[in-house]
Amino acid sequence: MNRRHVLAAASGIAALALVGACSSGGSGGSGDSGDADWSIPDTDPTATIQVLGHQDADGIQEVIDAFNEDHPTITVEYESVPFDQLNSVLDARIGNQDGNPDVFWADQPRIPALAARGYMTDITDQFAADTGVWDPAPLASGQYDGRMWAVPIANSTQLLYYNVELVEAAGDPLPSAAIEDRMTWEEVTERAANAVEAGATNGLLFGQVNRYYQLQPLPMSLGGSAGGTGDDLLTPDVTSEPWVQAMEWYGELFAEGLSPLGVTPEQSDAEFLTGNTAYMVQGPWLLPKLTDAEFEWGVAPHPYFEGGEVVTPTGSWSLAMSAFSDEREAAAIFMRWMSVEHGGGYAANYASPELPASPEGKEQYFQRDVFDSDAGQLAAEIIDFETSNTAVPRLQTVGFVEFEEIIGRAFSDVANGADPAAALESASSELETAWAQYR
Amino acid sequence: MTAVRRRTRSERRSILLTALAVVVAALFILPALWLLSGSLRPSNEIFGTLSPVTWRTLVPSEVSLGNYLALLSGPFGRSILISFAVCFLTVAIGLVVSALAAYALSVLRFRGRGAVFAFVVISFMVPFEAIAIPLSQLFSGWGLTNTLLGLVLPGIGNGLAIFNLRQHFLSIPTSYREAATVDGAAEPRVLWSVYLPLGGAALANSALLIFLGQWSAYLWPLLVVSDSSLQVAPVALARTFGEYTFDFGQNFAGAIVLSVVPALMMFVLQRFFGGLEIASGEK
Amino acid sequence: MSRSSSAVSAAPSGAQRRLGASPAPRRQLRRRKELFWAVVFLAPALVAIGSLRIAPTISAVVSSLYSGFPGGVRPPVFSGFDNYLDLWGNEAFRETVLRTVVFNVIINPLQVAIALLVAVLMTRRIAAPGLWRTLVFIPAVVPIVGSSIVWSIALRPDGPVNAIITALGGRPQPFLTSPDQALASIMLIASWIGIGYWMIFLISGLRAIPSEYYEAAKLDRAGPIRTFFQITIPLLKRPLLFVLVADTVANFVLFVPIQMLTNGGPQNSTTMQMFNAYRTTYTYSSKNLGAAEVVILTIIMLVFVALQFRLLRDDDRAAKGTS
Repeated sequence: MNRRHVLAAASGIAALALVGACSSGGSGGSGDSGDADWSIPDTDPTATIQVLGHQDADGIQEVIDAFNEDHPTITVEYESVPFDQLNSVLDARIGNQDGNPDVFWADQPRIPALAARGYMTDITDQFAADTGVWDPAPLASGQYDGRMWAVPIANSTQLLYYNVELVEAAGDPLPSAAIEDRMTWEEVTERAANAVEAGATNGLLFGQVNRYYQLQPLPMSLGGSAGGTGDDLLTPDVTSEPWVQAMEWYGELFAEGLSPLGVTPEQSDAEFLTGNTAYMVQGPWLLPKLTDAEFEWGVAPHPYFEGGEVVTPTGSWSLAMSAFSDEREAAAIFMRWMSVEHGGGYAANYASPELPASPEGKEQYFQRDVFDSDAGQLAAEIIDFETSNTAVPRLQTVGFVEFEEIIGRAFSDVANGADPAAALESASSELETAWAQYR
Repeated sequence: MTAVRRRTRSERRSILLTALAVVVAALFILPALWLLSGSLRPSNEIFGTLSPVTWRTLVPSEVSLGNYLALLSGPFGRSILISFAVCFLTVAIGLVVSALAAYALSVLRFRGRGAVFAFVVISFMVPFEAIAIPLSQLFSGWGLTNTLLGLVLPGIGNGLAIFNLRQHFLSIPTSYREAATVDGAAEPRVLWSVYLPLGGAALANSALLIFLGQWSAYLWPLLVVSDSSLQVAPVALARTFGEYTFDFGQNFAGAIVLSVVPALMMFVLQRFFGGLEIASGEK
Repeated sequence: MSRSSSAVSAAPSGAQRRLGASPAPRRQLRRRKELFWAVVFLAPALVAIGSLRIAPTISAVVSSLYSGFPGGVRPPVFSGFDNYLDLWGNEAFRETVLRTVVFNVIINPLQVAIALLVAVLMTRRIAAPGLWRTLVFIPAVVPIVGSSIVWSIALRPDGPVNAIITALGGRPQPFLTSPDQALASIMLIASWIGIGYWMIFLISGLRAIPSEYYEAAKLDRAGPIRTFFQITIPLLKRPLLFVLVADTVANFVLFVPIQMLTNGGPQNSTTMQMFNAYRTTYTYSSKNLGAAEVVILTIIMLVFVALQFRLLRDDDRAAKGTS
């Protein structure tokens, strides 16, 4: 009727028009599944693909340069995003449903979740001939619902590193690197206590403290499950006896001052390298950093609980193709080169040693000079054994994102002194709620 | 003979209350002093003097600008420039928008002016965080993520700036405007030649409000910028805090740098425009 | 001053105008011109409101009426108020809302009360009041990122605060790592920079109280406490209320220390609504559910902001002597 209504209406209409133009309610376009109407061509197309990952751009550039020697007509534009932002940036980018990125770094345990969300292109047919190339665990990680969604470019395992001087000062014999002499967590705890008494700042340090990747073997070694059971692994199983016991042990490490509070996963390597930590559980990526260490160090196999199973963490990154990629063939060629050719072009060319996902790649990997020293040689044997025998993949469920976050917080609370049973109960009920939408 | 007049009780300065004031002021300023001193010494010295608390905790053994140099030559230095760029752009655009709106809502007359005033100010006073998430999704659809414009736009509407400017415009005698319109000036001319020159303090206040709002923005840049070379200072600082907890010295230096800018602004504006009458502000 | 004088000079009584040989068409023309300019001048602000406030609100409301698979690629389906019902039935969400409310019910009156006491102290007859006032105000220029950094280090188990506590004979406290103390520690971080800020407002409010009231109280032989409660507080009501509401508006959407320092923990003890909406949307990629949380938060904010506006306007009108 009057001016103010006109003014209000004008702005309202402007708003609605804007909203309508780019709706966030329903949107078209779902990821496609299983169409074989494209294949990896024999001759390379000329194309440009965008790749999104968390690793440093300079390091990846060397890999891309090597790729371009084999495939000169495909240009690769790599964008690096900090690790803790990768998932949300990915959500936003894929949500835009344009061709950027074509290929992205996918954390292996998240692959079922990302595939279920429709982020990825089904590549079962295109990579059917290559499935024999990889180790079983990495291969399985890329599969979900009977289809293949990602190709592994790296794998991982864990070792027990020790500081020779601190172990000797504690009066303990140096641990053996032989598989048959694998120590138990109980032994390690005692040794850590001895070391702290003898003056070490930290007795035992976990590389990826409070993360599921690192702590998964603890309850599993006691006979517990990976954290979920039932159909599609969507029933939480973190309150069983093994889980509670494992967390009690873990919480006591901090309560008794054997492990430091406040050292984050990003800082753990630096902490060990200062020489103040007696024992550290960390992956092979610590080895090149140790070449500059100012103290003598050694390696031993990953411990297990007495009377329990021997299990080790595993898994790393894979490459997946966006469901909305507009350069499928080129993207597939890049992915294939990174994960299959030359034993995995990525692992073969990345400056810092990355454990490859294939036996052929591993052979080359063990030739690297980081394994030249005596300790390095022993490390190589351990790595080889663990990846082939004791590796257990993380919980492969559609609800993995929620699981990792919730259980990570529970671990953190336990480390900070929360009652383990209560923390796990609370995590379990949070998981129930979070997973309800998937069942 | 002059009588000596004794000061009455109420005129004497209270020693007790002064002491109390000193204690209160000390409680507030000591952490800031610790922050300042920490920024001027190497990190391991901060670490070493955390506990027990001695005079060493507050006083550096030697003052060095190393933390500042290291911090500013790294990515944080760039983010400070980005923050400045964003804030100045926001103030420039925001003042225009606010002054225009304030003028219309105070000088021009039309039916429903009061309702529009309420609508405008309330809309902009809703804290930004509340709608940041859906807005960032819209911005993503509009292609404004990782852009300077995307960082600037949400800050241009500040309800209190408009409120302040309107109050000030209302206090300017309308005879000035009458004189100008009689001379044939159109409204924009009146605004430009009459109201704005008279609006010094109010404009400064509003500029300060807009600047401060943008300077400490955290959630919005976090949502809208993923490219670390385009990130603003508070987010960049928070990110290094997670990574380099060992390097407290640089973190402290960053906090000081972030605080000095608003402090300087307030000080300068106070000098030039007299008592800052900040009616309120976003924190 | 402004309103009444402008009424007099700008528009002499309409009746007089109409009776005489009125240049009515000219007046209408002038009115239309003013309206034209009003629309032009208000356009930028209105477009800004439309696109930066209304559009996201509508978008959030619409999105909250759909349910989608996390990630936002699979098209969501219309589900009406299901998201809201789910949130209502979700114990963790209810606890989050409760926690946010309790936090605000505690911290806002507390901050304002402390700010008031400090303001009163600083307006007594003391030596060098300006100096102490400035020292208390200085933390207010520290952005909350800075405050979070300082206090998270100060409150470490091996930090200076615990050092002082042990020196005084107490036991070191866990602060940010304890589910019982983490929220209080967050309050401390927000208050250190907030109190000085609000103190400034209250000081100007205190100064506006005419001294006659205090003199009258003295004649009545009223002690300081009676004076405070019977004179100061009632006359300070408007600024006090305004500060209280403005503080609430700021604290309700508190985000930075939670995201930087505690990530909602330990044991969700610092998970408040803003952070929860952020986590739901970005960590769990549940956009529609997150949108519902945003809508709830926005509605609560609108109520507080409308109240704040009311108080601001009343306060201002009172100061200008109109009502």
